[in-house]
Amino acid sequence: MILRSLSLEMPWIFLVLDPHLIWGYRLTGHATLNFILGTAVLVAFSLLLGEISSFLASWAVRKYVDRIQGEASHYVKLSMNALAAGDREAYEAANHLANEAFGKTFFLQVAQSGAFFWPAVLALAWMQYRFFEIEFPLPFLGVSLGFIGVFILIYILAYLGWKRVKGRLPLGRRVRETLNSGQGTLLEAGQEKPTPLNP
Amino acid sequence: MRKFWKNWKLLILCLLATMVLGATMAYGQSAPKPAAPEAAKTAPAPGAVQPAVPAAKMSKLQAAIAKTPEGTGPGMIHPGAPKGFMGIPGAPHHFFLFYILWGVWVGWIFSSVGAFGGIMAGVGHISVFGLSDYASSFKKTNPFLNKMLTDSIRTSNQYLVGLSALISSFTYYRMGRLVLPLGLCLAVGGVLAGYLVPLLTVGKMDVSLYVGFFGIIVFAVAFVLFYETTPGGQAKKKAAKAAAKAFEEAHIKKSTQVSAEHAKGVQVTHWGLSRIAFTFYGQEFSFNPIWPLLGGFVINGISALIGVGGGFLYVPFLTSVAGLPMFIVAGTSALAVLVGMIVNIFNMMVVRQVPVDFILISTELIGIAIGSVLGPVTSKKIPEVWLKRIFVVLAIYVGVGYLTKGFMGKSILPGM
Repeated sequence: MILRSLSLEMPWIFLVLDPHLIWGYRLTGHATLNFILGTAVLVAFSLLLGEISSFLASWAVRKYVDRIQGEASHYVKLSMNALAAGDREAYEAANHLANEAFGKTFFLQVAQSGAFFWPAVLALAWMQYRFFEIEFPLPFLGVSLGFIGVFILIYILAYLGWKRVKGRLPLGRRVRETLNSGQGTLLEAGQEKPTPLNP
Repeated sequence: MRKFWKNWKLLILCLLATMVLGATMAYGQSAPKPAAPEAAKTAPAPGAVQPAVPAAKMSKLQAAIAKTPEGTGPGMIHPGAPKGFMGIPGAPHHFFLFYILWGVWVGWIFSSVGAFGGIMAGVGHISVFGLSDYASSFKKTNPFLNKMLTDSIRTSNQYLVGLSALISSFTYYRMGRLVLPLGLCLAVGGVLAGYLVPLLTVGKMDVSLYVGFFGIIVFAVAFVLFYETTPGGQAKKKAAKAAAKAFEEAHIKKSTQVSAEHAKGVQVTHWGLSRIAFTFYGQEFSFNPIWPLLGGFVINGISALIGVGGGFLYVPFLTSVAGLPMFIVAGTSALAVLVGMIVNIFNMMVVRQVPVDFILISTELIGIAIGSVLGPVTSKKIPEVWLKRIFVVLAIYVGVGYLTKGFMGKSILPGM
């Protein structure tokens, strides 16, 4: 690892958080290991904060999400029933409406994802002041990975691991039940008998 | 094939995007090559801003700043000025609450109307925060900094919109079924665009050209939104609802027996260079692989070039090209979005190391999350068709402003 310190003026918020965030980077005496461990700790905090704010945002709009997901689910089921019955016109009509309903849920989720990612991007902002010129030369490739690349790799691994563990935790199951208490999701479409959309 | 030609909205969009990409590639090939590494070792020009670190190891941004004349006039950098965007002295800087408020506006649009939110995110970076005008000021004094700031604006758009689309795409990928050959064609096209477009344009695109291309895309979105508010566009939706309701009432008391054939899911029956066929729920579907390949290239190319859009185009594109069920398309297109985003983000941010202002992006993301909560509240009070009409007017205003600013040098409308 090549590290050159660079003094940049930190905004006040990072001056306050810096002594706490740098703690993870001083755990051992080895520079490379320190950097990886410290980034892993930072990633863990980012994931935790992201999960909390994402849950709050989802909880606030759960009734609306239930309604539009229910609408999408309804038209998906209807389109597949029309397919099974061989009614092409009904299939295309229901498919078109499913497409529109899907668009609403997609963009709402895009917006809600901001609640999940803002801690990670803020962490990158702090790292930019602290580890601006860090480089990890990659052997045999002739290129090096900066702090962004290392953060993203550790974040992806941590996210995948967290997804596996989250569902098994009692709190994780409870959160999932609270958020998925609606009329149905796209996953269930096609696996149940069709039911009319409630007025 | 007939379905594709019938869906003129997508046809026009694809043609526009192909023109844009073709112009970009032609521009990229004729653009001057970046300065040779030896140039960095020469003494800085008289009056140039001295970097804070040794000249032997400087970031791209620091190297660009070092070549800028020192002063307080346009196209100059005064070292004593307060640091703004990306830590550049004298660059635009706003109180963080302003970024959050703009993010609220973007998030509200995403959760109310949809696609237009990405456009507004770009408008914020280009016009509202003054980054485009700031980049333009270096056109004559330091063209390299001009182009670097352009790339930073594009990448900031991508972080803001594309990163968030990753999560929602991953969710739909897990939920939906996958048509592997279709997903592969989309992904291959997307990867090609995600590699080629940054290769040809990073460090080469002037901010004026970028703003002009952005204006073209805004017009395309305005056109689609406008159609959906016309009596013709609304009649189509009413007819679809009537047909769906008629089928539902006719079959509501009959439970559709799920035969063994239906339960098989997606079964690919034919692989070929000109035709790929599969069955789903007892029906056969087929498509020419060139269309999803081209579609993936164009859609991810727009995303890589402009920084917004892309992901939301896959589903309507697939339902139009092959008439596929939405249930399959959700998962398949999500795979293409995932692959495309990974390539774009990795290429722009990790490989090409385009600098971005992470504080700007993180505060905007907070605002977007807040806006996503407000949208469902206001949707009860404001009919969607009227929201779309308001955004059509806004989109035309932005489109005209950016087209004239980009290709004529000055916007004919104020505020752009």
